[in-house]
Amino acid sequence: MKKVVAILAISLALFASNSMAADPALARVTFIPQWIPQAQFAGYMMALEKGFYKESGLDVEILRGGPADSPLEALQSGRATFCSLWVSTAVQHRAMGVKLVNLAQIVQHSALMIVAKKASGIINLENLNGRRVGLWEGDFKIQPLALFKSRNLSVIEVPLYSTVNLFLKGAVEAMTAMWYNEYHTLLNTGLEPDDLTTFFFRDYGLNFPEDGIYCLEKTLIDNPSVCEGFVQASLKGWIYAFEHEKETLDVVMKYTDTAHTGTNRAHQTWMLARMKDLIFPNGDKAVFGKLDVQQYLLVTNTLQSLGFIKNAPGYEDFYRGQR
Amino acid sequence: MTAWLRSSIAVKMALLVLGGTGIVFSLVLTYSYVSSRHIILNESKANALNLALAMSRRIEQEFRAVAKVPQSFVAFLENSEWDEKVLLTTLQRMVTDNSEIYGMAVAFQPFAFNKDVRAYAPYYYKTVEGLQFCQLATPEYNYFQQDWYHIPVELKAPVVSEPYFDDGAGNTLMTTYSCPFFERSDDGKRINVRGVITADVDLKWLSKLVAAINESQKGFSFVVTNTGAFVTHPNLDYVNRESLFSLAETRGDPKLRPIVKQMLSSNKGFLDLGSTLGGQDSFLAYSKILSTGWRFGSVFPKGEIFAEVDQLHHITFIVSLLGMGLLLIVSVLVARSIARPLKQMAAATEKVAHGDLDIQLDAARRTDEVGMLAQSFIHMAQGLKERDFIRDAFGRYVTQEVVNRLLESTDGLKLGGEIREISMMMSDIRGFTSLTAHMKPEDIITLLNRYLGTMVEILLDHRGIIDEIIGDGILAFFGAPEPLEDHPERAVACALKMQDAMNEINASNLAHGLPTLEMGIAVNTGSVVVGNIGSDKRVKYGAVGPHVNFTGRMESFTLGGQVLISQPTYERLSDILDVKNVLQVEMKGFDGKINLYDVKGIRGKYKVSLQDFDEALRTLREPITITYYRLNEKTVSAAVGTLASLTSLSAKEATIVCPEPIPIWTNLRIALHRDLGEISEAVVYSKVVSQEAVDGRYRIQAHFTSVSPQASTIFDHAI
Repeated sequence: MKKVVAILAISLALFASNSMAADPALARVTFIPQWIPQAQFAGYMMALEKGFYKESGLDVEILRGGPADSPLEALQSGRATFCSLWVSTAVQHRAMGVKLVNLAQIVQHSALMIVAKKASGIINLENLNGRRVGLWEGDFKIQPLALFKSRNLSVIEVPLYSTVNLFLKGAVEAMTAMWYNEYHTLLNTGLEPDDLTTFFFRDYGLNFPEDGIYCLEKTLIDNPSVCEGFVQASLKGWIYAFEHEKETLDVVMKYTDTAHTGTNRAHQTWMLARMKDLIFPNGDKAVFGKLDVQQYLLVTNTLQSLGFIKNAPGYEDFYRGQR
Repeated sequence: MTAWLRSSIAVKMALLVLGGTGIVFSLVLTYSYVSSRHIILNESKANALNLALAMSRRIEQEFRAVAKVPQSFVAFLENSEWDEKVLLTTLQRMVTDNSEIYGMAVAFQPFAFNKDVRAYAPYYYKTVEGLQFCQLATPEYNYFQQDWYHIPVELKAPVVSEPYFDDGAGNTLMTTYSCPFFERSDDGKRINVRGVITADVDLKWLSKLVAAINESQKGFSFVVTNTGAFVTHPNLDYVNRESLFSLAETRGDPKLRPIVKQMLSSNKGFLDLGSTLGGQDSFLAYSKILSTGWRFGSVFPKGEIFAEVDQLHHITFIVSLLGMGLLLIVSVLVARSIARPLKQMAAATEKVAHGDLDIQLDAARRTDEVGMLAQSFIHMAQGLKERDFIRDAFGRYVTQEVVNRLLESTDGLKLGGEIREISMMMSDIRGFTSLTAHMKPEDIITLLNRYLGTMVEILLDHRGIIDEIIGDGILAFFGAPEPLEDHPERAVACALKMQDAMNEINASNLAHGLPTLEMGIAVNTGSVVVGNIGSDKRVKYGAVGPHVNFTGRMESFTLGGQVLISQPTYERLSDILDVKNVLQVEMKGFDGKINLYDVKGIRGKYKVSLQDFDEALRTLREPITITYYRLNEKTVSAAVGTLASLTSLSAKEATIVCPEPIPIWTNLRIALHRDLGEISEAVVYSKVVSQEAVDGRYRIQAHFTSVSPQASTIFDHAI
C-alpha cells in the first residue's frame, strides 16, 4: 500500500536533510508546517529561496510536514524550532500545559467552510439537518460543532479523511473543506461554483484566525533574536511571494514535486491567491502578522463553551508577536 | 494604367478570361476542398469513434476480469466457513495467480475479525524480490481512514480509486479496487459491513495499450477518470497530477472546460477541441469505460486528418495556377490575332475617311470571322467606290438632290408619294422616228447623244428632275422632290433655253452632215402625285396624274422651235412672259377650247428670249416640185407620194400647193425634186399647220420639223 512507502520516504528525506552540511556562522533552526508542502506555506519557501533567513543570520531547514508528522511532537522533541499551527490547536495545547507561544499570526481569516451540492437540496444551513456531513477530525471540527450547536442542527457526522472522494462518490451530502484547497479541488472535478452551496465559518461568527508561527516559550526566552529574525524573514517571504506570483509558484511546484503530492500548478495558483486574501483580508496590511485580541477571545470562548478547554490561556501569555 | 488596360483588347480579353477562369477554378477548388474535407471528416469521425469504442471495451474487459478476483473472494468470505489460515492462503494464492494484481488485502472493520483485535488487515504484495506479506494495521497507518477502505464502507459498494504511482512496485501506475464484504444474517441477508477486500491493479497494461495506440495514431490518446484526472497521457508528468480541468485552468482557455464537462457527462462522442488541447486544431473522440467511469479519449489534429486533402488541393491549386498562366498566354495570343487586323482595319477606316478607297488587308485572306470582317470591309470600300461612281453617273440624269435623297436616306427608296404642285415639261423631236428611219444606227446615237447631252445639262442647270427619257422625248419636272417656289418660272426658262440650244445643235449637225432637228416643248403646272413609283425591285422617282397626261397632249400640239405653256403656267407668269401667239385647241378627253400660249421669251430672274427668225414667207421665183408622203403617226406610210409644188418658203415653214386637202397636224415627208424632175435625197419633214382651198387646189402651210442638209442647200439657193 502506497502510504506505507510514503512514510518510509518521508523518514528518509528527513534523515537526508538533517545530515546536510551547514554554515557554522548561522544559527541552525528548523521549521515544520502543519501540512504537506503547498502554497499554504509559500512565504516560508520564498524566505528560504530568496535568502531572507540567511540575511537574518539563520540557517533554516523546512521540514516536509504532513498528517503523519505532528508539528507539536516535532517541537517538543526538539526536531523543529518553529512550527505553523492554527490558533485553536495552539490554544488547546497551551491549555493542556504545552508552553508554546504565538510569534506571528499569518492567516487572519478562517478559510474553513462547509460545501454541499445544491442538487442535494442543501441551500441554507437549516437544510443540513439530518444530512450526512463529512467532518474532518480534530481541530477542524471545532467550528462546525460550535455552529451546529448554536443553530441547533443535528447532522449525521461521517468522519472525513484526506480526500474529497467521499463527497464526490456521494457517501456524504456535505463536507468540510478549506477554501484554498478542497473547494478548488471540487471545482476541478467539473463542479461549477453555482453547483455548490458554501457556508464560510467566518460568515457565521466563527472567524477563527488560522495559521500562525509558534515556538516553545523556552526558545523565545533563550533566543529572542532568532525568533525575531525568523518571523521578520518569514513575513518578508510572504510579501515577496505575493509580489512575485509566478516565481513563487515555480518554487512551490518544486517542493510539491519533491514530495510527490500529486498536485498541479492550477491548484497551487488558486491556493496562493486565496492565501493572499486570507493574510491581507480586504487588502489590509496593518493586520499583517498580528493576532487580533478579539479574534483570539472568540477562539478561546468557543473552545471553552464546547468544553475543549477548561481555562483559556491569557492573550498576553499566548501572543508574543508585534502589537 | 487603367487607360492602358481599357485601350487594349488583348489585355482586356486576357484579364476577362483570367478573371472568369479564376472564379471558376476557385469555385471548383473551394467546393472540392470543402466537400472532400467533409467526407474525410465524417470518415475520420467514424473511425475515431470506433477506435474509442473498441479501446474502452477492451479496457472494460480487463477491468471486469480483475474485478472478478475480489468479487469471488467476497463470495467466498461471505458464504464459506474459513479460518485465518485459509484466509491467508487464499489471499496469497489470488495475488500469485493473477498477473494484473499487484497486491491484495483483506481489511476488517474494528474487532470484526477478532473481538480482541481492533484492526486486522493482512496484505500480500509483489516486489522485485518476490511475494511479500505485511500487516497494514500498524499504529502509524490507520487504514480505517484511507479512502480505499473508508469510501466503500460508507457507500457499501465497490470503489475504484484514483490511479497513483506506486514506488514500491517499480514506480508503475496502479489503481485500487475495493470491494466491501458483509456479515450475513441467518437468512442469508447482508447486514453489516465486515470489511473490505482490495486489489491493487497494476495499470502497466493500460499504459502500454494506450502508448501502442499513440505510436500508430496521428495525434494522441489518453485515459481520464470521471473527474478528468489523467490515468494515462503521453506526457507522464500529467498522470496522477493534472486533470483536464487543471489544464483548462492553467492554459486559461475558457473553451476547454465546457468540452471536458460534456465529455465526462456522456458515454461517447466526437467534439471539436479547437486548439484547447494539444496545441493544434483538433477533434476529440471519446468513450466511457463503464466499470470505472473513466473515459478513453483520442485527439486527432485536423491538420493531420486533412493533410492528404490539403496536399491534394495544394497541388490542384498549383496546377490551376499553371493552367491559368497558360490560358493567359493563349488568350493574349488569340486576342492579339483579333486585335492586330482590327488595328489594321482602323487604319484603313482612317484612309477611307480621307477618301482613299484603295484598301489592302492581310486579314482578308483568313477564313474566320475576322477574315469575313476584313472582306466585308474591302467590299464596303468597293461599295463606296461604286456609290461614288453611281453618284457621278446618276447625277447626270437627276439632280444632286435626288441622288442624295436616294443614297443617303433609306426613306429615299420608300414607295409611295405625295401630292405636290409642280411644273412639268415634255419635249420631243418632231418627226424623229421618220427622220431616223433611214439613218445609220451610229448616226442616230450620235444625233441623240448630242441632243440629250445638251438638254440634260440645261435641265440640271435649272434643277429640273428628269422623269423619263424615251428615245428623243424627255419628261422632266420642277419643284419635287426638292420644293422650288419658282418652279413655273424655272420650267419655262429651261424650256426656252433648251429651244434656244437647238440652233447650236443643228449647226453642229449640219457640220457633221446630219439633218437638223426641230423640237417642241410643252410646259404645264399643276398638282400631281410625286414619289417613288415602281416595285421593290425597280423604283423611280416620278410624277403621275392627269396633269402629266395633259402635258403629253400639249406636247403633240407643239411645232419645232415652239414652247407651249398651259393656262395655269401662264397665269403664274403672265407678267414676265413674251407670248407670241395664243392657240386655241381641242383636246381629246378635255372639254372646250384650251388655250396654249406660244412663249418666245421670259423676263425677270432668268431672262431668256428666243432668237427671232425671219418667218416671213417668201414666194419663190420658181416653185420647187415635191412629192409628199403622209406620215401615219410616227411611221412613214407605204403610200405612194403625191406631186405638189412648194411655192413660198421661210426658215421654218413652206407653202405647198397640193391637189387634195390635208388635215391640220398631219405630218408630211417631203422629197424635193431635182430640176430634171427626179426625186433627190433632199428631204424635209413637216407638220401641216393650216390649209385653205384655192382655185380647186389646196394651199397648205407646213411647219418644218427636220430639214436634211441637201434640202437646206436647195432652200438656200431658192431664196
